Amino acid sequence: MGYTIAEKILARASGQEHVRAGDELRVRPDFVIAYDFPGYTDVIFRQMEDEFGIERVADPQRFALFIDHMVPAATTQEEELHEITRSWGAKNDVPVYEGKGIGHQVAAELGYATPGAFVVHFDGHISQLGTFGTLAIGVRRHLLEAFVKERIKFKVPETTRIDLTGRLQPGVTARDVFHHIVRVLGPRSCRGTVMELGGEAIAAMSLESRQTITCLAMFTGAITAIINPDEKALDYIRPRQRLDIAPLASDPDAVYAARHEIDVSTLEPVAVIPPSPANTRDLSEVAGTEVQVGYLGSCASGRVEDLALAAEVLEGRKVKDGFKLYVIPTSKEIMEKAAEQGILTRLIAAGAFVSSSSCDYCFGRMGVMRAGQRAVSTGTLNVRGRMGSPDSDIYIVNAAAVAAAAIEGRITDPRPYLTGAGHGA
Amino acid sequence: MALENLRGRVAWIFEDEDFDVDQIVGVKNIKIKDPAELGRLCLAAEEPDFARKVQPGDLLVGNHNFGYGHPHYPPMIGMRHLGVAGVVAESFAPGYWRGEIAMGFPQVVCPGILGAVSRWDEIEVDWAAGRLRNLTTGTELPIEPLSEGDRQMLEAGGIVGYLHAREREEAGT
Repeated sequence: MGYTIAEKILARASGQEHVRAGDELRVRPDFVIAYDFPGYTDVIFRQMEDEFGIERVADPQRFALFIDHMVPAATTQEEELHEITRSWGAKNDVPVYEGKGIGHQVAAELGYATPGAFVVHFDGHISQLGTFGTLAIGVRRHLLEAFVKERIKFKVPETTRIDLTGRLQPGVTARDVFHHIVRVLGPRSCRGTVMELGGEAIAAMSLESRQTITCLAMFTGAITAIINPDEKALDYIRPRQRLDIAPLASDPDAVYAARHEIDVSTLEPVAVIPPSPANTRDLSEVAGTEVQVGYLGSCASGRVEDLALAAEVLEGRKVKDGFKLYVIPTSKEIMEKAAEQGILTRLIAAGAFVSSSSCDYCFGRMGVMRAGQRAVSTGTLNVRGRMGSPDSDIYIVNAAAVAAAAIEGRITDPRPYLTGAGHGA
Repeated sequence: MALENLRGRVAWIFEDEDFDVDQIVGVKNIKIKDPAELGRLCLAAEEPDFARKVQPGDLLVGNHNFGYGHPHYPPMIGMRHLGVAGVVAESFAPGYWRGEIAMGFPQVVCPGILGAVSRWDEIEVDWAAGRLRNLTTGTELPIEPLSEGDRQMLEAGGIVGYLHAREREEAGT
């Protein structure tokens, strides 16, 4: 029997010929990534020195730090935290990336998403590096082990294979596809396993769309997501990848915990209704719901195609009086592309508040709501209080639906606003 | 070193599947660091005197996929401050599980637990026997074994102790 891409990557990273799901290994992560956040990086740096006497990491190029939360700093404490990160990076020769955007996206742009590599972070949305055939896992506080030891103890996970068939209709995006997967298979369908995606709908998707889906894998209970890299992925990542290793892919006779096939050809735009990412409905079921705030951004959505879709919806139209539409491109590179293509100009002309990349609108630090307000959002999560008052509500929808709601002040099917063809992601 | 058995009352039963633990203290409070303050906030929205009712050793019981969403540490920092000694659930979301095990906080997978206990029942988790006993009703259920890594992490009291144990082991070989 063959092996999954996850098994092959962990075999490579543990120096063994073959490993199987269930094996407990000592694995050497190719890259160890974190963003600075109080109680995480500052504690790791302190514990390395105080508990383990490590004053410098041995192989600094294996590490990468991102400053993307609390950007820009609003308090002196936040700026002091960022300074702890900068000075630790300088002392250790570890690169600290600041002002480049949301780290999970920037990690791909900078080639940490090397196909065949094993990456750890404390945050689970790093799963999106799986778009490029990288096994990237959010290990939470176990990340300390990767800062202290070259190898971490890791149990080889099983893999759940999901094939997406059919062709998306215009105005239906990867964001709808992911939440449809949760609706069809359930919020614990991939629990504890790697979600491996394939099929013709994935093959047809842009890399940005694939990043959206792999980013959100945790809401199926998966520990990460991965796609066997195709030419599209390799063409993007080859000039950027940081390690000279061969890409890996699952064998045709690999052993899976489960296999599912989902036809996306009749999928309509969806809305994930508050207060849980497990509540996917057709958007039409909540159409007409009044909303006052829109957020287009996050590590899941907010890339060029999302911004372009929103700009198309808003072309020649205006954000409704009193409605707050926040557009925060996922990275600086994406923002520059959107600027070059005139997308930002159109969004600004329509009345959007457009700002440089930051995680802060997704976790309720900026653009917050008061009690009784409702938002449409492409953020990662719609749990109560995620965008301000615990008595405000978040409806997760695709980028076009955020823009359409901004025009009407209520949730509405964005497709009538899309005149062009070919919006199937 | 063997794990100590857990024995205590069922202080709360989270009946919802896919329960997001941030709701225990409220998302607006997840930046609080003070354990005592977090303890006072635990389930206060559901039962204002919850914190006063909990005794050291008490346990929490959850449904399937307990810890779904974006789990953060403060809710269970608060629960531990109150003396809560562990969580028993039908199943756990992997991110939550991994995070709490690294905190040295026992988590127990026990299929059928929800139908086997009522609030304030006295229960015991016997790691060696692989059983959960309801001492109030006299019934028992099997628990799922811990992986080797998770067991070592709990025995060491969390990630820091685990890494020290690993250093000692490596120095000795």
